Amino acid sequence: MSKFAYLKNTAALAAILLPLAASGTAWAQDAVNLRMTIWSANEAHLALFNEIAAGFTETHPNVSVTFEPLPFENYTTTLTTQIAGGNAPDLAWIFETSAADFVTSNALAPLTDAFGATDGYELDDVTESATALWTREGQLYAYPFSTSPFAVFSNNDLITAAGARTPAELIEAGEWNWDNALATAKAVADAGNEGLVIRDFNYQTWQNLTSFWRGWGADSWSADGKTCTFADQPMIDAMTAFHNAVFVDGSIPGPGENVDFFAGDAAMTVTQISRASLLPQDGFDWDLVPLPEGPAGSYSVVGQAGVGVFANRPNTETAVEFLAYMTNPENSQKLAQFFPPARASLLNTETLSATNPLLTPEQIETVVVNGITNGQVIAGRTNFAQIQQSVRAALDALWVADADVPAVLGNVCTSINPLLMR
Amino acid sequence: MKTELSPRAKVALYGLMCVLLIPFVFPTWWMITSSVKPISDIFAFPPDLWPRRFDWLTYQRVFELQPFGRQYWNSAYIAAIVTVGTMVVSSMAGYAFARIKFPFSNALFMVVLLGLLIPSEVTIVPLFQMFLGWNMINTHWPLILVPIFGAPSVFATFVMRQFFISLPGELEEAARVDGLGRFKIFWTIALPLAKPALGAVAIFTFLHSWNLYLEPIVFLSSTHMFTLPQALTQFTDAYGGAMWNIQLAAATMTAIPVLLVFIVAQKQFVEGLAHTGLKG
Amino acid sequence: MSQPIDTKRKPAFWTMHRRDAAAGYLFIAPQLLGIITFVLIPLGLVFYYSLHEWNVLANTFTFVGDANYQLLLRDPNLPQVLWASAVFSAGLVVLNMSLALLLAVLLDQKLKGIVVFRTLFFSPVVVSLVAWTIVWSFLLQANGGINGMLAMIGIEGPNWLRLPSTAMVSVVVVQVLKNVGLNMILFLAALQGVPKELYEAARVDGAGRFKQFRRITLPMISPTILLTSIITIVGSLQVFAQIAILTKGGPGVSTTVLVYYLYQQAFQFNFFGYGSTLSILLFLIVAVLTFIQWQMRKRIVFYEN
Repeated sequence: MSKFAYLKNTAALAAILLPLAASGTAWAQDAVNLRMTIWSANEAHLALFNEIAAGFTETHPNVSVTFEPLPFENYTTTLTTQIAGGNAPDLAWIFETSAADFVTSNALAPLTDAFGATDGYELDDVTESATALWTREGQLYAYPFSTSPFAVFSNNDLITAAGARTPAELIEAGEWNWDNALATAKAVADAGNEGLVIRDFNYQTWQNLTSFWRGWGADSWSADGKTCTFADQPMIDAMTAFHNAVFVDGSIPGPGENVDFFAGDAAMTVTQISRASLLPQDGFDWDLVPLPEGPAGSYSVVGQAGVGVFANRPNTETAVEFLAYMTNPENSQKLAQFFPPARASLLNTETLSATNPLLTPEQIETVVVNGITNGQVIAGRTNFAQIQQSVRAALDALWVADADVPAVLGNVCTSINPLLMR
Repeated sequence: MKTELSPRAKVALYGLMCVLLIPFVFPTWWMITSSVKPISDIFAFPPDLWPRRFDWLTYQRVFELQPFGRQYWNSAYIAAIVTVGTMVVSSMAGYAFARIKFPFSNALFMVVLLGLLIPSEVTIVPLFQMFLGWNMINTHWPLILVPIFGAPSVFATFVMRQFFISLPGELEEAARVDGLGRFKIFWTIALPLAKPALGAVAIFTFLHSWNLYLEPIVFLSSTHMFTLPQALTQFTDAYGGAMWNIQLAAATMTAIPVLLVFIVAQKQFVEGLAHTGLKG
Repeated sequence: MSQPIDTKRKPAFWTMHRRDAAAGYLFIAPQLLGIITFVLIPLGLVFYYSLHEWNVLANTFTFVGDANYQLLLRDPNLPQVLWASAVFSAGLVVLNMSLALLLAVLLDQKLKGIVVFRTLFFSPVVVSLVAWTIVWSFLLQANGGINGMLAMIGIEGPNWLRLPSTAMVSVVVVQVLKNVGLNMILFLAALQGVPKELYEAARVDGAGRFKQFRRITLPMISPTILLTSIITIVGSLQVFAQIAILTKGGPGVSTTVLVYYLYQQAFQFNFFGYGSTLSILLFLIVAVLTFIQWQMRKRIVFYEN
């Protein structure tokens, strides 16, 4: 059923809604205000976006763009409430975890043709690995404006004080693997601080453990998204290692403990490199290194965020034009200071060094460039929110000292298999 | 029960109340003191009852990160309008249901009481659509109109009705014999007598509006329109990590004025509640 | 009624009756129209949605008849959710009412400085709900303030919000502490309204304090108990922010109460049709509970004025 027909239906029940249906016509040459929802309220981010929007207004004097920061915590919920109420924004940031839902729905406008027709856009420059998640049947439905690798930040002050080996020393010795990383974490934890934190996991957002379990070659479900692989041997091994680290060694802080690496509480943290901006200016001696090797070898994981344009809206065409402008080579370079780019031409040490003064060229090369080039995204799926919730509920049983790891993981699959088969 | 207690019993009673007070008072105390701690001291274990180091910058940061003054004003003026509006609407309806005989009054009262039974989560989507149709999304109208006229005011109407029922009828009868109209009677006789109940309604309504959480999240989208409870959850870095100490500083600022008002006006406050007619 | 009727003239249209009726309708008009607009019409729409499968993102809105209600009967989570709601509401009401009564009795004593205690016990009511809950979410963490205090007296506290056995208790207690002050004041007012002569008469008859409380106080304040319990139960079924901030419904689904569950289904999973069905279920539960309590008043309430 089309939006219009649906509105007519509702209006039949409540005549109050009629003004809605009437407001569907475009104001062709009149002033156009595009609304774009984002989840960052960071002033520097907003300043940059406004600068880019001002550039667009120079060539499109009738167009203005408003950036609307929604709470990160309730972002997708608030966005879908707006859509449900018939008040979708023109453009929106989209989490990688809801990518599948948005891309497979008909909510977003296709971008490939419009981008291809834009002068100087160089669509070929955008890497295929970055766009895979956002593409359906050869059409791009959202542009991955941020492709941020997971990496390890270390607090070398704490590590040396505990007499343990720093990640840099381990890398030099060719021994940078999870066993040694956790041993270093344990040494720091035993010395009275905290070990290694998987940031933003909080024993709820389990998909962030992907940066850990891929080291064992484990994943949450098969590539086609139809079979649960939580109960497979690699996942059992990975989760057993994780469980031991938390409840036996204490090298990873337990559930409900508040530990902030960037406040100097912990030896190491696994997070996306964009968090470098959280490092305190006059803080500790820190380092940034790639993820350790796991039993399954070396690997890298990236997190992504996309921008999409809502389809069948009065200003959809203008919004696509704006997105093409916002992500053209020139503006992509500007965005690269906050959001690691998806363009091959920008993925080099020189460009990224200029925009990321905090990082050394070596860190950019080994962590950022390699990470983006080889990294695989976190497994997503349509209906992710419900699956996420079901897995979280089942995994809760794992976060106690005497948990039976294989049994709990078996329960995870029991509870999500019906959802995956749909 | 109001016999003089023996000194021993008094000491025991004071002791018991002090112990019981801990969970009531400690969280507020912790909130206030932690709001001036550097972030690394907040999770000190065991917790500090007094900050080891002071970081007063947190309060400045609250205003830098968000238009907090504006948000304060939003919450205050919305709560004020809602309080006054609810007092008018509910005292009128409560008076009519209690003291005027008209056809279907009981049935209509039951209809109104339905509002008491419906959680706001249930109707939030249709309400969103209605206000969108009226072009009132990202305005304060939904936060003003729904509480004054909709479900939240039903409790106030109920309280007012209970109060007016308990009022002796003689005064009114005398006025009616003198030929005063219903509105005159309501305005000059019933309403002045209802001050305590109105006070209770004002308190309930103000607190309800001041604490509203789900509705602002759904209806408001730009930061300068936000209300305080919504703003409190916004003190996060760009990636959703909470800035605890700043959040607590903001929370303290939302609580202190109301606490102060309560301490100053607490006699009227308690007496107002005591007269809600909920006695029976 | 007693107006003299003048048979010669046409009877005036605006009789006392009619004028009263008009005034009555005018007086309730704002409230009634508000309820129709902001409660009844939305409720009708929710029922309408519940007959549809509505995928917000895919923008599909299809009539499915009673399919969502069939789903309700088969939903494997629903029994646990209803159980959690029942436990939460029962625990909340019992704890809230008994603590409120205890505090009210304590505060009813003639003591110096009792006003200070009254103020402090009431103070959580005026702290904003979100702030109060956020603070408790810190205090209840494994390395939070509560366990810190317990450690001082040599007890190793549990991980309150993460264990199925303690999560629900924690949520209930946090909520009771926040709001018990209101019921406390209402009980206090009721206690002070009990005629003192009754106690004196009882004392002459040799009744002890406990007997006085059971035989005189409780019956005399029973209307207050009924009303506060209705308000508390209805309120307990609408608890949302506390769950969202403290446990997000976990561990497992142990603290997923019905309101939170319908919020998840409608807003997080985008099943607005099924979410609406759960809304109707919640509405019916609240309506039935209120009706039962209202009926019970005839049996438990000692007097009513």
